[in-house]
Amino acid sequence: MTFINRLKDFAVKSPWLYRINGGSCNGCDVELATTACIPRYDVERLGCQYCGSPRHADIVLITGPLTRRVLDAARRVYDEIPDPKVTVAVGVCPISGGIFRESYAVCAPIDQYFPVDVNVPGCPPRPPAIIEGVAKAIAIWRQRL
Amino acid sequence: MTSQLATLVAVLIFPGGLFALVLGLALKGADRRVAARLQGRVGPPLVQPFFDLIKLGFKRTMVPTEASETVFLAAPLVGSVAMLIGAALVPIAGVYAPDTQLGNLLVLLYLLAVPGICLMIAGSASGSPYGAIGFSREMALMLAYEGPIVLIVAAVGMRTGMAEGHWVTFSLTEIVRYQQTHGWFLFDPILWPAVAAFAFFYPANLGIVPFDIPEAETEVLEGPLLEYSGPALGLFKVMSALKAVVVLGLGIALFLPLPFTGPLAFVGWLAEIIVLMLVGVTALRVSAGRMRIDQAFVFFLKWPLLLAIASVAAVALAAGGLS
Repeated sequence: MTFINRLKDFAVKSPWLYRINGGSCNGCDVELATTACIPRYDVERLGCQYCGSPRHADIVLITGPLTRRVLDAARRVYDEIPDPKVTVAVGVCPISGGIFRESYAVCAPIDQYFPVDVNVPGCPPRPPAIIEGVAKAIAIWRQRL
Repeated sequence: MTSQLATLVAVLIFPGGLFALVLGLALKGADRRVAARLQGRVGPPLVQPFFDLIKLGFKRTMVPTEASETVFLAAPLVGSVAMLIGAALVPIAGVYAPDTQLGNLLVLLYLLAVPGICLMIAGSASGSPYGAIGFSREMALMLAYEGPIVLIVAAVGMRTGMAEGHWVTFSLTEIVRYQQTHGWFLFDPILWPAVAAFAFFYPANLGIVPFDIPEAETEVLEGPLLEYSGPALGLFKVMSALKAVVVLGLGIALFLPLPFTGPLAFVGWLAEIIVLMLVGVTALRVSAGRMRIDQAFVFFLKWPLLLAIASVAAVALAAGGLS
């Protein structure tokens, strides 16, 4: 049992990230994909790898207020991610709808559709906040392994 | 009986199997670390590929409904086993010489083609359009680079064989032994075209930028690997780690085996393979952009093939001049 736990402690050092854009204005995506995940802040030192396929993902980051158009596609992609997985909602839009709140075209808050584990509020959140969100998601993921 | 046991040890523990796997994963880790440093990042720890592999072991394997399940799951297994045997066929100068019962250079050439074919099968069995694109690209690339490698091996085999007084040798052990007494083929002007052709061949075989066209993450989302998850994806990682050891080991055996014996030879071989990985793979992949498949195809049919043919012709002419 302790051996399995040791292995899980090693496994948790390899969280692969996947990003779903739920109709975001791209503000959070810029902070997430081009600032927090790439050279400036370098999440690869935490073992994170940015992957193109949902099947490879461990931590899924959702941005945007989830527009009606994208709802079905986002849910299908989410189901493609193998368990155990952790969901991080990036930005204020997934929490409340942000500036798009009460629009007929959005489905926010997204926790009606996805089991959100970590919220990273902000419009957009600063890259260190996103990285902290990922770090919290890793701690939750360790319990699920 | 003892020779069978020795073969089993060679395939499963040293220099194939466990040793090659650990070495291959460590090489991948060093590659990622150094690539990050070259790009001005901190980079992951050296043991990151081991963490990745353990993690993949804990994940669920999902098989798409459109996929052909048996083929889909068998492809990574076949590829890994082929590379496991391949690693036992590569001699380490002064340390290990493969059993002739296990096979020679020709068998190794066939085994080197297996991972590519497995990727093709995996891509087409996954039922994903990206997998299908990856399949067609992998096939085009293989058709382009398989010709030159056969000719390179033939040139080196002829050079050794004719110097030893027979026609052509396909024993890597004999090639290594010849170079240990007569000096590296790397410094043999007649084989320089072959060395250059090999330098073009191995990035394509290892699937790194500029020839990672079948698995291009930014275009076809890792193509054949797109639908793989969990342990099956882990097996593909194992396959590519073993392949790095086999291909770089083959390069060392063909062109630059060390003339030492004992522990010094082993340490020297490790140093050679690490330097080849960092200079030949890491520096190349961070400094180059990706080619298009049509460019790569034409490129391989033009330069490496030409160089390889020139090399065979030069070896034949030199031997004619000798006699």
